[in-house]
Amino acid sequence: MLRNPLLLKEFRQRMRTWRAPFVICGYFCAMFAFTLFLLHENVQGQLTLLLPSRSEQVFVTLSLVQLLVAAFLAPAFAAGAISGERERRTLVVLLSTPLSALGILIGKILSSSALLALLLAVSLPLYSLVFLFGGAVPGEVVAVFAFQLFTLVLIAAISVCWSTLALRSGWSTVVSYATVAVMVVLTGVLGYGLQLVAAHDPVEYFLVIWGKCLLELNPLWVEAALAGAVPASPHAWLWFALAYSSVCCILAVPSVLRLRPQALSFLPWRPRAEERDYH
Amino acid sequence: MIQTDHLSKWYGRVAAVKDLNLYVRRGTILGLVGENGAGKTTTLSILATLTTPTSGRAYVNGYEVSRQPQGVRRSIGYMPDSFGVYDDIRVEEYLTFYAECYRVPRRLTQARCKEYLDWVGLWEHRDKYVNNLSRGMQQRLEIARCLMHDPPVLILDEPTSGLDPRSRIEVRGVLAKLRELGKTMLISSHILHELSEVADEIGILRGGELVALAALDVVLSHSSAYRSLWVEATADVRTWARLLEGDPRVLDYRVEPDGVELSFAGTVEQQADLLARLVRSGLAVRQFAERPTDLEALYLRLTEQREAT
Ligand SMILES: Nc1ncnc2c1ncn2[C@@H]1O[C@H](COP(=O)(O)OP(=O)(O)OP(=O)(O)O)[C@@H](O)[C@H]1O
Ligand SMILES: [Mg+2]
Repeated sequence: MLRNPLLLKEFRQRMRTWRAPFVICGYFCAMFAFTLFLLHENVQGQLTLLLPSRSEQVFVTLSLVQLLVAAFLAPAFAAGAISGERERRTLVVLLSTPLSALGILIGKILSSSALLALLLAVSLPLYSLVFLFGGAVPGEVVAVFAFQLFTLVLIAAISVCWSTLALRSGWSTVVSYATVAVMVVLTGVLGYGLQLVAAHDPVEYFLVIWGKCLLELNPLWVEAALAGAVPASPHAWLWFALAYSSVCCILAVPSVLRLRPQALSFLPWRPRAEERDYH
Repeated sequence: MIQTDHLSKWYGRVAAVKDLNLYVRRGTILGLVGENGAGKTTTLSILATLTTPTSGRAYVNGYEVSRQPQGVRRSIGYMPDSFGVYDDIRVEEYLTFYAECYRVPRRLTQARCKEYLDWVGLWEHRDKYVNNLSRGMQQRLEIARCLMHDPPVLILDEPTSGLDPRSRIEVRGVLAKLRELGKTMLISSHILHELSEVADEIGILRGGELVALAALDVVLSHSSAYRSLWVEATADVRTWARLLEGDPRVLDYRVEPDGVELSFAGTVEQQADLLARLVRSGLAVRQFAERPTDLEALYLRLTEQREAT
């Protein structure tokens, strides 16, 4: 996997400029300031949202903000991955090499989520600051961090697929952000709404189930559950992972066909990919 | 080495390639000539596995393009007609990247980088950013890129298009040197004379069909049998146009307001003689140029000859 030439090339390209270290430093400082602010407010007990003496809340808030940042920045990096190559007319050359379609997609997914993954990793020490004030358990931190990485790669994967399917970077950006909005906002609002309705009318058992299922498709909710802040079934993350992994797999099939129209030519009923104007 | 078998590609109701049968022997260089929209790019991109044919088969180096595309890709170096380059990447890294895509062993990459950059005359630019190179240099770099994995077959789509005359000559120089490598090649162009130093055989495409296929010297002898020349002089056209009548090799001429277009049947030396004679007779010649051969007329002559024999 690490010998993926696309991944190596993009690392070389990215790490040469001062932009990447600059962004990483800037992000760390911003998060550091934010953590101090949360801790300060918490200690003072002025932030009504947070219960005093529970720096657990600081941990949850911090990690939710990080997840939000990652979720909304990932499409910015990934939505132009393939469509950008097509617009720069480098895709033709890339496709004439023996790189496999999956190799190209994986290289693009990993390279476009690498910087954000680094941002998430550098802010891990901030959690230890939170530990000083008691609260979060190391196991929870590991679970939350792993979940953040998973969500990041997931959104990058969906965006790269959209970028392969859409003809223009503009479109793939719009569709990718729409996907993130559905994941983060729509499932949350609908799921929460349904639960509220169900609270008034407990007879509607289906509403409860639907509300729960929708909420467990929301990365923020699942992460909060992992941090022990909200009630959820113990394997909520599994349902989340399965649901979105299958979305990725479904999107990957037409993407692969777009890149390599011959990919399924061994099947007797060969699906006819329309590669008109694609390159 | 390269073979197509009743190859067709339809875009909706338009046939970009129609029932094409090509055969390129190992080590020969076939030039595909055709006007815009003749189907050159479509043919070459089918052979490069980027486009799937609607019907028919195509084989490259023994691999079938739809069934064994990976084998085909490993056997060819493909240069598209319009390609872009990555920003923020240096010449050497650019070649290394594509070598990695072809899984060329690291120890070979360095040596080949040097060899081929030298070869296309870009070794002193190896540390420059690719996007800062001129288009002509990028085009030569692309030829070096095609050679990095040492493929037995090269497929070059209009390697000299979109260049100024000077870079065109440089790229043509590189193409002429490609002959030494003894690779099987398919080169397209819409100008026949671009290929005269490179190709062994010339195929003429028209409306997606191969209308003529002949050895280079046969094609050239036919095309030079009627060279079309354009002459401009400072004097009034009507006064000097009759000077041309004395030359037996001027088959025909047409007087236009600012010059004369004439059909000339003779060698390049005889063409020079004509110019010398015009100048000797006191004419201030402003332009004396060969017009690109009309492909339409050329293939008509080629097909006429084939029917005659
Ligand atoms: N993606 C496409 N969709 C629809 N029609 C296409 C497509 N690509 C090519 N064509 C049509 O197929 C025909 C052949 O095109 P092609 O690009 O192969 O010609 P060409 O010989 O390379 O021309 P040029 O000298 O302009 O490069 C043209 O009539 C073109 O309009
Ligand atoms: Mg073309």
